[in-house]
Amino acid sequence: MRYARFKTAAVLGGLFALALLFFGLNVFIGSAKFSFGEAAARLLSGDAIMWKIRAPRAMAALLLGGALALSGYLLQVFFHNPIAGPFVLGVSSGAKLAVALLMITAAAAGRTLTSVSMVGAAFAGSMLSLGLILLISQRVGRVSLLVVCGVMIGYICSAATDFAVTFADDADIVNLRSWSMGSFSGTDIDSVAVMAVIVPAASICVFLLSKPIGAYRLGEGYAKSSGVRVGLLRAALMTLSGLLAACVTAFAGPVSFVGIAAPHIVRLLLGGSKPASLIPACFLGGGIFCSACDLIARLAFAPTELSISTVTAIFGAPVVIAVMLRRKRGEAV
Amino acid sequence: MTDVLISAENLSAGYGSPVVEGVDLAVRGGEILALIGPNGGGKSTLLRALAGGPEKLGGAVTLCGLDADRLSPRERAKRMSVLLTDRPRTDKMTCREVVELGRYPYTGRFGLLSPADKRAADEAMELAGVGGLAERDFSRLSDGQSQRVMLARAVCQEPEVMILDEPTSYLDIHHKLIFLDSLQRLAREKAVAVILSMHELELAEKIADRTLCIKDGRVFRAGTPEEIFKEKILRELFDLPEELYKKYFKKGKSL
Repeated sequence: MRYARFKTAAVLGGLFALALLFFGLNVFIGSAKFSFGEAAARLLSGDAIMWKIRAPRAMAALLLGGALALSGYLLQVFFHNPIAGPFVLGVSSGAKLAVALLMITAAAAGRTLTSVSMVGAAFAGSMLSLGLILLISQRVGRVSLLVVCGVMIGYICSAATDFAVTFADDADIVNLRSWSMGSFSGTDIDSVAVMAVIVPAASICVFLLSKPIGAYRLGEGYAKSSGVRVGLLRAALMTLSGLLAACVTAFAGPVSFVGIAAPHIVRLLLGGSKPASLIPACFLGGGIFCSACDLIARLAFAPTELSISTVTAIFGAPVVIAVMLRRKRGEAV
Repeated sequence: MTDVLISAENLSAGYGSPVVEGVDLAVRGGEILALIGPNGGGKSTLLRALAGGPEKLGGAVTLCGLDADRLSPRERAKRMSVLLTDRPRTDKMTCREVVELGRYPYTGRFGLLSPADKRAADEAMELAGVGGLAERDFSRLSDGQSQRVMLARAVCQEPEVMILDEPTSYLDIHHKLIFLDSLQRLAREKAVAVILSMHELELAEKIADRTLCIKDGRVFRAGTPEEIFKEKILRELFDLPEELYKKYFKKGKSL
């Protein structure tokens, strides 16, 4: 018991340190090469590259990575399956389509969009996708089939997005193309301010649900019999997961596989699934994962940048395959 | 005998349309009521309705003197716990964690366990004979072990009424007997009212204080095991031809 508590504290502490480390690396390293001393001096003097470009972007990678991991974790709780996630279930793509449509309409009307309206549109899109997935899940019992359906929904939404983007060839939506591939680049302070409100608020709500989530691990029937208001819990899981995924998509476009890979890795590190420790660990793990991937996306072929999804897929998809193989062998079916 | 802890009056249950109807029953503390009858007769549906599920379509269930429909999930959980047919699929949960979830209705906002809660979990595991499994991974247990851990969880909830749906179906005879023995001890020592469904007639006969036969969505017979476990009633309940019954249910050597 004492050992388990020590281990949890050590893992959480280690993750926190890693998150800080990668945040620092993202601020200090970039295509404009500074020595450590120079970078520090620029940071202290309020330099534009550091404060207007790198720091917001590093902050976004951390916060949105955490949001993605939590969104995935909530879906995994909901569907009792570790291969559920906002990307594979088509939630991110639904959000993407809604945001793209809003951007194009706004561009046509000559208006600029606020971050909040983008998040709103993304939330509507993600909830629509989730609603569709829920409808399908009532007819399809197996999560593996559900994931196939989710991937298909994702393709349909992506196709519709591409269609809209192709025909709305307006100078105002140049950004749309890179955004629709997924990227943290171009994050400004105002966007960071919005996500720094939404993501922590939603994450705290998730943490407050850790008791019923813990009971829900035994399945709906046992949760209900031990006093969980299951309907309410399920609605909360869906809404929070949709909101977190929407926030990510609104600011960074669709980012793949983090929602599955990060929770899985931290579960292995913790060696347990108690929500009270798993929820903060997921958030930190997702943040680290995205920060590290963004570092690679920026630096691997600098000055050309990779899309964030390219990098997260390279590291995240194998984890997903590993999860599926492990389940195939019959561990917890 | 103690007070009636759970009773049902003219209970009907089903999914949209009733599967079982007109069920009356009452179980006192320390008493075990066994539901027997053919598959599809409505035993599980009836148990779920008694446990407060949406399967309840009509009639009244009284739990510890209170109208069960008016109880909040938490208030119900303090009085009644269940053991379901499906084994939970867990990921990285120790048996102790599973059992401790039985404290859910008693803990606060974050589910932190007090020393008293921990003691209740230890006692429940002792009673169910799984004290030695506490730190083992629940998903790696045998069916017999996991079923007893789930019994410990149900006990840890400190209920006055326990409802168990075919708790012994997947166990071998050794584990069936150990399980039923723990259950009987629990019912007697803690004066818990137990309602369970079973397919093993010979075991039901031995463990039950009273028996309710459910067939075609109705109570076919109700009574003590001595009244129920008779050739005529069993043959009719399960539609057994005489020669089959004679072949397998000889006197003194039942299934």
